[in-house]
Amino acid sequence: MSRDTLVSFEGVVKRFGNFLAVQKLDFEIRKGEFLAIMGSSGCGKTTTLRMLAGLEAPSEGVIRLAGKPINDLPTWSRDTPMVWQSLALFPFLNVRENVEFALKMRGVGKVERRRRAEQWLDRMQITEFAERNISQLSGGQRQRVALARSLVVEPEILLLDEPLSALDAALKVRMQSVLKNLQRETGITFVYVTHSQSEAFSMADRVVIMSRGKIEQIGTPQEIYRTPRSRFVAEFLGSSNIFQGTLERGDRGGIVLDTPLGKFETGGPAVVQPGSAATMTVLDTKTHLATERPSGTRNVFSARMVGEEFVGATATIYLEAPGGQEIRVQKGHDELAGLPLEIGRELFIHWDPSDGHVIAQA
Amino acid sequence: MNGSDDLNRNRAVDWALMAYIVLAYAFVFAPIAASFVFSFNSDRFPSIPLGQFSLDWYRAIAMDPLVWEGARNTLFVGVIVGVVSTALGFGAAYTDYRYMFTGKQVYLALALLPPTIPVIILGLAMLAYLSRISLSGNALSVIISHVVVCAPFAMAIIRLRLSQMDPALEPAAWNLGASEWKTMRHVIVPFTMPAILGALFITMAVSFDEFAVAWFVSGLNETLPVKVLGFLQGQVSPRINAIGTFVFILSMTLVILAQLLLSGRGATPADKE
Amino acid sequence: MRRKISLYGLTFSLPLLIWQILFFVFPLLFLIALSFWTVKNFTMRPDFNMVNWTTIYGRGVFWQAYGTTFALAAAASVLTSVLAFPAAYAIAFKLSDAARRWAVFLMVIPFFTSYLVRVYSWQIFLSDNGIINVILGWVGLGPFQMLNTVGATIIGYLTLSFPLVVLLQLFSLAFLDRTLIEAAHNLRCGRVRTVFAVVIPSARVGLVIAALFCFILSFGDFVSPVYLGGGEPTTLSILITDTTKSGQQWPRAAVIALTMIGTLMLVAFAAVKFAYKGKTK
Repeated sequence: MSRDTLVSFEGVVKRFGNFLAVQKLDFEIRKGEFLAIMGSSGCGKTTTLRMLAGLEAPSEGVIRLAGKPINDLPTWSRDTPMVWQSLALFPFLNVRENVEFALKMRGVGKVERRRRAEQWLDRMQITEFAERNISQLSGGQRQRVALARSLVVEPEILLLDEPLSALDAALKVRMQSVLKNLQRETGITFVYVTHSQSEAFSMADRVVIMSRGKIEQIGTPQEIYRTPRSRFVAEFLGSSNIFQGTLERGDRGGIVLDTPLGKFETGGPAVVQPGSAATMTVLDTKTHLATERPSGTRNVFSARMVGEEFVGATATIYLEAPGGQEIRVQKGHDELAGLPLEIGRELFIHWDPSDGHVIAQA
Repeated sequence: MNGSDDLNRNRAVDWALMAYIVLAYAFVFAPIAASFVFSFNSDRFPSIPLGQFSLDWYRAIAMDPLVWEGARNTLFVGVIVGVVSTALGFGAAYTDYRYMFTGKQVYLALALLPPTIPVIILGLAMLAYLSRISLSGNALSVIISHVVVCAPFAMAIIRLRLSQMDPALEPAAWNLGASEWKTMRHVIVPFTMPAILGALFITMAVSFDEFAVAWFVSGLNETLPVKVLGFLQGQVSPRINAIGTFVFILSMTLVILAQLLLSGRGATPADKE
Repeated sequence: MRRKISLYGLTFSLPLLIWQILFFVFPLLFLIALSFWTVKNFTMRPDFNMVNWTTIYGRGVFWQAYGTTFALAAAASVLTSVLAFPAAYAIAFKLSDAARRWAVFLMVIPFFTSYLVRVYSWQIFLSDNGIINVILGWVGLGPFQMLNTVGATIIGYLTLSFPLVVLLQLFSLAFLDRTLIEAAHNLRCGRVRTVFAVVIPSARVGLVIAALFCFILSFGDFVSPVYLGGGEPTTLSILITDTTKSGQQWPRAAVIALTMIGTLMLVAFAAVKFAYKGKTK
């Protein structure tokens, strides 16, 4: 364990009756990082967070906070405040009383309590609402109250359980930057659970992708996006075209994947087991279209256009390759200018060998 | 109401149904209204045409020391029954809200069944049992039997309020450093306070009303409804109307207070959004 | 959430449990024991003797009262259900939301008035010189004897359970999916046929439970049969009070009471079974 480790999960397992919610978690959370735990519902991400908060006890393994095992510490004896999906603000207390709550429970005196609450009300820009009832606040204001209420004890770590899910799209984006800035300024470790890829990738320093109670991959958003470690991660992110085939040694030093659509080459890892099954992923933004077969590359095949979709400045073109596989190409509008984009039209798909990423095991 | 609704409506049927509603309420309120009206009527035998307006019956009960004693007992019993029932009901409601355990069905059945047993049977069983353990014939026995019947009402009212609570609220308080006991004091109780007061008033009102059990159980310390029964058994007297009206106004005050508490301030923010 | 019950949890769950075991379960169990006791010289003594059961079950009076009470309670539940349904239906479907809230509030009021006072008040209407006979007299009719009749007893039962039955029916109708009704109309099912073919079957559980409550209340009631029915015919509740008063025959009263509880349990079981018949819960 390195010196900048704040939390470590060591062989943590959680069972609910016969249901295995989390199996063998081994990972570390670093001091001062913004860590997002991402996965679809039921993947164990919220259970992981709740174990860290002390709301669930691990069935096996040890969770350490700053080196000390905290398995047996009840939640009220840990400093792991959480921001809840429902926010869970106390409806019978006003904004100030909500923010002061944790201090009051810790026996902090009235004057001191007020001073520290005032600081956070000010920091979250909700001082003017201090005497209001929770029911009189907007969604964004409530978020700020929830953050202030948790941060007022100035913890080393803050847990967030999908806190933005109730907000509308525009407010969500605004709150993302509020959260990111807050994390940077305070240096508090944020552990952020979400099912939203855009939230995780836009805020987090590192992302943990979970599935069926297991960690699929941990890494920076860049790493995960460019080099997904498994077919699951690539499919989960949904931003790559995925080809399945058999590995061969390339004649030009790289490696080649033999797929039903052709033999595709890549720089890839030099060590390959020829004949083994593998998956290649190519980001849909790195996949190009052409009307004529491009020369000088082996990474090309033809497909029939079946649809298009426009979101803001980018367009996604959907094509169907022989054999029925769906191919997606994402481009800016200017890059598409001049291409005859008609449904049913045959187009050539190609990409640079260095953009193909090979996942060794199938 | 949308257009297609109107299209499929038949005015005659609607009018008939409205008339029926009025009739139904007339049936329900006829005895209550008559009791009220005739409590101010001077005639010895209540009927129409009405006699003089008079407060004689109120004067009569006001001067009857036995009535005063009964009223005092009613109030005394009612307040204690209200407090004890609400406390027990709160505990049971919180248990149901918070915990899963084997035998919970049995627990809930025990907590909720008593009001469905006919009062005459409950009264008989209570009197036989309480006299066996030398508890019969005093206010304590009345209180005990009233609580058995009232606690389920308190539990139902408080449970309803707890089900309106965000399930994350209690763990949120723990997470912010409040122990279970502190959370109870600073979160659960404040949140359920409207229902707690509502349950208190309603169980008091039910206690005022619950005469049959008391009739069997109570010996010397008669409560007001028991006194009413006494009047009925002996000579019929419009004094019962005066007492009934008095108890009704008291009960209704409590019920309306409870209603205001349960529907007003206590609404969760989610409701208002 | 932690599921294991701690000292903290027990503090809240135990008091009611203990109270209901001590003062609800034990009295009922004691009633069973009591039914085997014997009475000699006006004093009860613990015993294990079937004599009370054989005495009561061997009496024609008991079976007569049993038949009467059962028939009256059954008649009251059918009558109350039938009379309450149009009111519940109209409140559920014909009133605005605000009016419906008022209607519910008004229906709750009777629960907080003394049932005894209301029954006494019916005497003002029903007695020989009462309001109804006076009014009938103005048009040259009557006087009719209405007090101390079975009809008056039934009015008492209605007073007792009508508001509750309306409320229970109302709640079961409130949970009814309105699109069902519109769908029925859309399929050319007429207004009345819709009520019988769609509304009543859909709300069956609530309607049966409402009728069951009416049965329970009427079966055990002793105020109406005494003060409106004049004590004739004898119902089981009257029989219980008479038995306790005459010669300290508490054990025999216990037999009657236990028979009543057994009957109510069977009826409730049958009613619930019928209510959920063909429904997968």
